[in-house]
Amino acid sequence: MIRRTRTIEMLLLTIMLFGGVLSGTAQSKSNDVAVVVNPAAPVSDLTLSQARRIFRGDQQYWNADLPIVLLVRNPPSRERDIILKQLYSMTEAEFKQYWIAKIFRAEATSGPKIVYSNSMAADLVKVIPGAIAFMAARDVDPGLKVVKIDGHLPGDPQYPLR
Amino acid sequence: MRPILIAFIAAVFTTGAWGRSADAPQQVSPADVQALLARIEKLEQRVAELEAKQSATATSAAPQPAASSSESARSTAVAQAQQPKPTPVTTSAEEMQGMHTVLARAGEEYPNLKIRGFADVDFGANSAHGINSGFQLGQFVLHFASALSPKVSYFAEVSLTATAGVYNVDLERTIIRYDWNDLAKFSFGRYHTPVNYWNTAFHHGAWLQTTIARPDMIVFGSRFIPVHFIGAQSEGSIPSGPLGAGYNLGIGNGRSSNLARAGDSGDVNNNRAWLGNFYLRPPALRHFQIGGSVYRDEISLPNSSLLPDGQNFREWIASGHLVWTGETPEFYAEFANVHHRSELTGRTFDNQGGYVQVAYRLPFDARKWKPYYRYDYLQVPANEPTLLDFVNVRKSTFGMRYDISDFAAFKAEYRNGRGNPLPQRSNALALQTAFTF
Repeated sequence: MIRRTRTIEMLLLTIMLFGGVLSGTAQSKSNDVAVVVNPAAPVSDLTLSQARRIFRGDQQYWNADLPIVLLVRNPPSRERDIILKQLYSMTEAEFKQYWIAKIFRAEATSGPKIVYSNSMAADLVKVIPGAIAFMAARDVDPGLKVVKIDGHLPGDPQYPLR
Repeated sequence: MRPILIAFIAAVFTTGAWGRSADAPQQVSPADVQALLARIEKLEQRVAELEAKQSATATSAAPQPAASSSESARSTAVAQAQQPKPTPVTTSAEEMQGMHTVLARAGEEYPNLKIRGFADVDFGANSAHGINSGFQLGQFVLHFASALSPKVSYFAEVSLTATAGVYNVDLERTIIRYDWNDLAKFSFGRYHTPVNYWNTAFHHGAWLQTTIARPDMIVFGSRFIPVHFIGAQSEGSIPSGPLGAGYNLGIGNGRSSNLARAGDSGDVNNNRAWLGNFYLRPPALRHFQIGGSVYRDEISLPNSSLLPDGQNFREWIASGHLVWTGETPEFYAEFANVHHRSELTGRTFDNQGGYVQVAYRLPFDARKWKPYYRYDYLQVPANEPTLLDFVNVRKSTFGMRYDISDFAAFKAEYRNGRGNPLPQRSNALALQTAFTF
């Protein structure tokens, strides 16, 4: 009888512990913004610094044969707000002015492509070989490659884009 | 004891879970709103598709010829019987993906062309005698940016400047660029010489710059440093990790005999100018850039018989810049030394120019306002043969910029100092509205 009670206790404890951890992870992941690329892109891990260079248009090629195509959500969206804050360090107005100035200096011929939903971003990333986009981690499709940022995937406690 | 322990642990974890749950509505709510917005977009697109199909069906239905009422009723009944039953409509993921693919391909057609313009209207008044106050049209500038292929692009800049009697049309920049990769991008054409930060960052974009006027070292029609450069350049980034290093290397015609102009139609001598520009732009410090440039050329002046030092001079320009492009605060500092050596007599002349500019966008409700200050300095020796009649500058500029929208601004400036245009000290007031479209 005592052994049976102990077994039940252990089972309850395990369920509560596991449930608590899972709950925390799921909550964290649902708030994270994933950076996704086309599976053809030769990248699976970026530093935050590299991600900033890419999204600011300072790095424009994955390699000599594959230009980077930036896809950015239209405002207002939570994902865009997070990326503007964490990667661009800009307000909405500064973001617009930044790309006008970049084209003015002949450093780019156009700004990022605008996507109107996470599903649109996912669809475009699948068909454009050099595409990179960001979206809510919970909306990531199986056909996309999620890029680690500073060695962390969405859901990790140290993941920076949230 | 044991049940109490279990109850305690259960309470701890349950409280933790509830704690997260309590936070959840605030954290999840915006994302849910976005998900709903996306859903609404899909439904709206679907409604539009259905409406289009419905109207197409109505249009394709040919009008029936007049017939007896019994025939009409019979044919209607037959038609209704033959009509397929409406099937329930669902949002198809494949259809959405197809539309997105079409959109993606539409954005990748070559060549594509994007046009942007900059313009400004100014008012100026000066306390010095001989300078009239009044309104003036600034430059009307059009930019043409075109991708010819994923790795080839073209950029052109055309300006219209009001002069007495006519508008002066100038091809300020025309650049065709071939990207090898991020390390090497080769281009040919007419550039803003990257020997000065302001020259490449703002030049004809009055709206882009905080102030009304450019710094005196790079002012309109300046002979102090070469504003334009015709030739070829290689530019790109240098693998340097967090430093974000980059470079420009160029070779070209250099200045014409009129030092304010570039050698557009050909070099005035058989010596090409060359330049090198190196900068650091760390990604972690988005607003920060530090860099330096060197520029080497031979300049040939007209009317050599009148000049004791001859016609030809070696020119060596060294410059540096330190900028913080943020707005709270904004900081720009540049300095250049322009060295000339006569090929006839060997005499040398050193000319210095620079400026320091600070600005700060005000917080909260006053964030449309940005006060600024700049100090300009230019020093050219009196006997410098290549820059005769050059007026030395010591000038302070106080101003306020008001951004009426994200793409238009009003600016007001008070200037006090000497130089440009007159050697004596004067006070000036300038107003400007500048915008991009």
